[in-house]
Amino acid sequence: MRYTAFTSYDIVLLAQGLGVSLALFLATTIIGLLLGSLWAIIRFYRVPVLMQIVTVFAELLKNSPVLVQLFLVFFGLPAFARLNVTPVEAAVITLSGNTAAFVYVIAVSAIESIGRDQIEAARVSGLSRWQVLRHIIAPQAMAFAIGPLTGLLVNQLQVTSLISVIGVVDLTKIGNILNLRTLKPFIVWAIVGGLYYVMAKLVAFGGATLEKRLRAHTAWKGL
Amino acid sequence: MISVRGVRKAFGTATVLDGIDLDVHSGEVVSILGSSGSGKSTLIRCMNGLEKLDGGRITIDDFDVSRPKELAEARKRSATVFQLFNLYPHMTAVQNIALAPVEVLKIPRKQAEADARALLDSVGLSARADAFPAQLSGGQRQRVGICRALAMKPRYLLLDEITSALDPEMTSDVLAILAKLARDGTTMVFVTHEIEFARTISSRIVFLDKGQLVVDLPTAEFFAADGGMAKPRIAQFLSKMRKD
Ligand SMILES: Nc1ncnc2c1ncn2[C@@H]1O[C@H](COP(=O)(O)OP(=O)(O)OP(=O)(O)O)[C@@H](O)[C@H]1O
Ligand SMILES: [Mg+2]
Repeated sequence: MRYTAFTSYDIVLLAQGLGVSLALFLATTIIGLLLGSLWAIIRFYRVPVLMQIVTVFAELLKNSPVLVQLFLVFFGLPAFARLNVTPVEAAVITLSGNTAAFVYVIAVSAIESIGRDQIEAARVSGLSRWQVLRHIIAPQAMAFAIGPLTGLLVNQLQVTSLISVIGVVDLTKIGNILNLRTLKPFIVWAIVGGLYYVMAKLVAFGGATLEKRLRAHTAWKGL
Repeated sequence: MISVRGVRKAFGTATVLDGIDLDVHSGEVVSILGSSGSGKSTLIRCMNGLEKLDGGRITIDDFDVSRPKELAEARKRSATVFQLFNLYPHMTAVQNIALAPVEVLKIPRKQAEADARALLDSVGLSARADAFPAQLSGGQRQRVGICRALAMKPRYLLLDEITSALDPEMTSDVLAILAKLARDGTTMVFVTHEIEFARTISSRIVFLDKGQLVVDLPTAEFFAADGGMAKPRIAQFLSKMRKD
């Protein structure tokens, strides 16, 4: 006989899955933000060679399905380079790269939105390139980018669910397990979906709060 | 001293500066006149290292602006005020002014901000010290721009048509500040269309025409009936200016 009732242990399972999804999301967000910003800076300063590599790489990442990228890393890398890649490693690599590619696009347009003349004024007053980046470009680019970035991250949070197909026990995978055992798909997937929804709302709320703070200083009155 | 020797600058095939020689000594106010497109802004941008020279040499107190290591020193000695102010929109007036003193001169922030407030006070802007550029009028913005340049305690002030984006009333506010700086002995290179004003504050007038310095005379000689003004090209320019 099959035991199909929910048990209190299922809450622990869900919490574990939630934790894995969140941890992956946070880790790949941080790596993706750093990497994507770095690529944008490379492009802004037209660093020879690196700039071309970044452009091609970002193009490839933006224009192919994340699931294909995931398979390429998880199945392709071991076959091609004899590297052993665990499911979690494959997930971190793929999702970080994917997030970075879109962060790159947002960061490039954010940087380009900043008037060249301010940068010239800062350079003429003796600030180094690094100081200009830190005091002139970064704060304004951040205020400009935070809206699109929040949208991107809400989306990337949903994308993490793809990693369940290579065996990472994330929230979606737990949903699968519970579904097979309880045979109550509607309840299971409604709960799982609800948890993703709450996480997404938290990300959006965090982004909106940060945006208010970052934009307070531009104090654009009216329009 | 600022020394410009045989400077050439081209954009593509267009030669914009064609062998410029100019010296600016301490305490001088040199006004640069010339019609639109004659290369005045380009010359200023060469002096502060924003444009690469295609020939010749510019030194500021013997620091060659074409050498990256010396450019930093040259930039510490000179400061630029821009036609369109070029303020940092995400910073208040005080922050705009204090940024470079803190970052470049390593002055403690507290002191730099106090200095910035004193400067703003001296141009009648103490009440707007914590406003962002978007909250200021054009004339107020340019006064902040001047304070930002002065905060670096430069030996040379480079000014490129700093009143041409302002209406007459705001212009006179800004010019009054320059007149005071000139009386205090500030060395200035002053690109302008304000000919009468140039006459009152300049020690020398130079006239740029199609990338060449065609006249370089003490102010009195420039405006003398048989001086620079008598040259057909300049007479034509001045009469056009006075009509505008
Ligand atoms: N970055 C650039 N690229 C190409 N051409 C340029 C560039 N900057 C200036 N020029 C050209 O160089 C010439 C001189 O320009 P410049 O701005 O120095 O003139 P100006 O004397 O300051 O004129 P104005 O009185 O209108 O400000 C103009 O023909 C202009 O079109
Ligand atoms: Mg000009």
